[in-house]
Amino acid sequence: MDQNLESKKKTQYSRLFRRFIFLTMICSLVPLLFAGWAINIHYSEFAKERIIKTLQTRVDYHRKIIELFLKENRTRLDFIARTYSIATLTKDEHLKHILNSINRDFWTLTDIGIIGENGDHIAYVGPYDLIDKNYSKTFWFKEVMEKGIYTSDMFMGFRKEPHFIMAVIKNENGQRWILRATVNTDSFRSLVENVRIGKTGEVYILNSKGIYQTRPVSSGKILTAASGFEGEIHDSLKFRYLDTFDKDVKIKKIVCETWLKDPRWLLVVRVGEKELFEDVRHANRATLVSLHLSALIIFIVTVLITSHMVSVIKKRDREVERMNNQLMQTGKLASIGELSAGVAHEINNPLAIIMTEYQLLLDTEKRTPITDKTFGEQFAGSLNQIDIQVRRCTHITKNLMKFARRTKSVIETVNVNVFLREVIDLMGREAKSDGIKFISLLDDNLPSILTDPSQLQQVFLNFINNAIDAHEDKGFGTIILSTCLTKDTTGIVITVEDTGSGIKNEDIGKIFDPFFTTKAPGRGTGLGLSICYSIVKQLGGNIHVESEIGKGTLFTLTFPFKPPEDLLKHG
Amino acid sequence: MIGAKILIVDDEEIFADNMARLLQIRNYKVTAVYNGESAIKALEKDNFDVVVLDLKMPGMNGIATLKEIKNLGLFTETLLLTGHGSVDAAVEAIRLGAYDFLNKPCDIDDLIEKIEGAGRKKDDAWKKDMEEKLKRVIESPSDAFKLFD
Repeated sequence: MDQNLESKKKTQYSRLFRRFIFLTMICSLVPLLFAGWAINIHYSEFAKERIIKTLQTRVDYHRKIIELFLKENRTRLDFIARTYSIATLTKDEHLKHILNSINRDFWTLTDIGIIGENGDHIAYVGPYDLIDKNYSKTFWFKEVMEKGIYTSDMFMGFRKEPHFIMAVIKNENGQRWILRATVNTDSFRSLVENVRIGKTGEVYILNSKGIYQTRPVSSGKILTAASGFEGEIHDSLKFRYLDTFDKDVKIKKIVCETWLKDPRWLLVVRVGEKELFEDVRHANRATLVSLHLSALIIFIVTVLITSHMVSVIKKRDREVERMNNQLMQTGKLASIGELSAGVAHEINNPLAIIMTEYQLLLDTEKRTPITDKTFGEQFAGSLNQIDIQVRRCTHITKNLMKFARRTKSVIETVNVNVFLREVIDLMGREAKSDGIKFISLLDDNLPSILTDPSQLQQVFLNFINNAIDAHEDKGFGTIILSTCLTKDTTGIVITVEDTGSGIKNEDIGKIFDPFFTTKAPGRGTGLGLSICYSIVKQLGGNIHVESEIGKGTLFTLTFPFKPPEDLLKHG
Repeated sequence: MIGAKILIVDDEEIFADNMARLLQIRNYKVTAVYNGESAIKALEKDNFDVVVLDLKMPGMNGIATLKEIKNLGLFTETLLLTGHGSVDAAVEAIRLGAYDFLNKPCDIDDLIEKIEGAGRKKDDAWKKDMEEKLKRVIESPSDAFKLFD
């Protein structure tokens, strides 16, 4: 039954523990994690948006640079054509000088040449052997003749290498000639790729038909068609996500596209999403790690605090339970005391009448003795029994009254050692005849206490009487009385230990109950220990009992240096 | 003090009667009454040496009766019978001028011992009073009528 109760309590506490943890987690962690995640998501979205905007600005800026480069070179060619006559330009050295001047800071042009109206190469400076070539059949020749100034797409041409040209036509004294220059492919490519971002980033140019004008890094070759080309020409900057696959691994890429104005080329900037947002992801990770670390710390602290709190509650509960038990015992004693005092008082009157009747009979018998001897003896015997039993009843009612005593205590300074020696002296003779030895282990430095000596005497006479009675079966034994200070030095401890028969386990809880006795009928009223208990409690003390069957019993009594205030005030 | 006059006051009629008989057998002149009011009436009518008064009675209790007796200004001594629980009341009674108290149920011999003591005290007080009055008569014979009125 007790074990059941114990395990039930244990479950209750663990449930309490769990509930505390759960509530604390709900109240602290959920808002923290919720807010943390929300802020994190919001921040990363914001950061990504900014990064994309920056990328778009860069791409647009880069487009302008490429446009500027192409335009500058066209203007340069136009300027040369306008400034110099064909006679000057066809001098190889002069043309060479011009090419070198242009390429002085940056290797812009691969070659430069003058082409006549019929398509023949009149002059040429460059690494290829092209002086004898006729261009009248080439696509760009026609375009230049038509438009006056022209920038071609990439093509192979006579040199069998991808390149693109710029050409202007000049009309000099009725004679038309073309100044043509090839833009250095590598230089142009490095210019285009200047905006390349990260390891996975790539930049390339497509013409209006979707043909690669520069070599992309990852896929495709120059002058081949790009896949997924839509061909719609527009003036805005387009931005989209693209899923690419690298050996079956899906890689998400961000693509920015913008059309150059002249020629109509498409600048494409691709960058791996992962790489672009690396910083955001890094910040995200740091935030989340610290967020979860905080949550973990909160959890650990909560568990620690909760377990501490539950242990405090457990301790308080035990304290309350102990006090309740004590209160119940005191209450039980008080109500029984009241009841028994009333009963005793009421019984006293009939007892008094019986006593007077007994005495009347005794008187009558003395005056007129009974002649019948047998009857006389029987009569005398009965009278004697009436006397004995009435006195026995009187003894019981007297004890009951004492139990419920409301007499005032007389508080005096008592040296407990001296007091106990007196008690031992008083009881010593009786004990000796029973073969019982007294041992006193009294602390000589024990301070005196304020208490009621007559009540205290009653308590110890009772304990020692019981201790002597406990040796009845053995016929010999030892009673040890000891005194010392309490551990916290707020009072004194007195122990009464005997080597008697001991108290049964199931009886330990009842020994202070009124009318509980294990003595033979007529030998004990069962009030002794409950009177002791109420006296000790009244004097502000405590009784603790330990017992082992066949080995003996140890009563430990503690008393404060002063009795409770109300007892001091009201006596 | 053989032949002393005793008034027994107890609401337990049988007890009062039995006591009266026991004392009568021992040659005391005993009257038994069963409440405080009757006791006062009896004391007003007759002289008693000792009153044996029960403490716990319905109506006028022992303490109230004792106060009334003391108000009568008699030499009569009072013995109180108490239950064990009413020691405080008994102490109060002694403070009010009772001779002594006895716990119920009591032994007849103990009661007689106390009655004798009370009787002697009453006699001593009476004698002392008489001597004082005589002294004053001798000193001023004109006051004699006032004193023995």
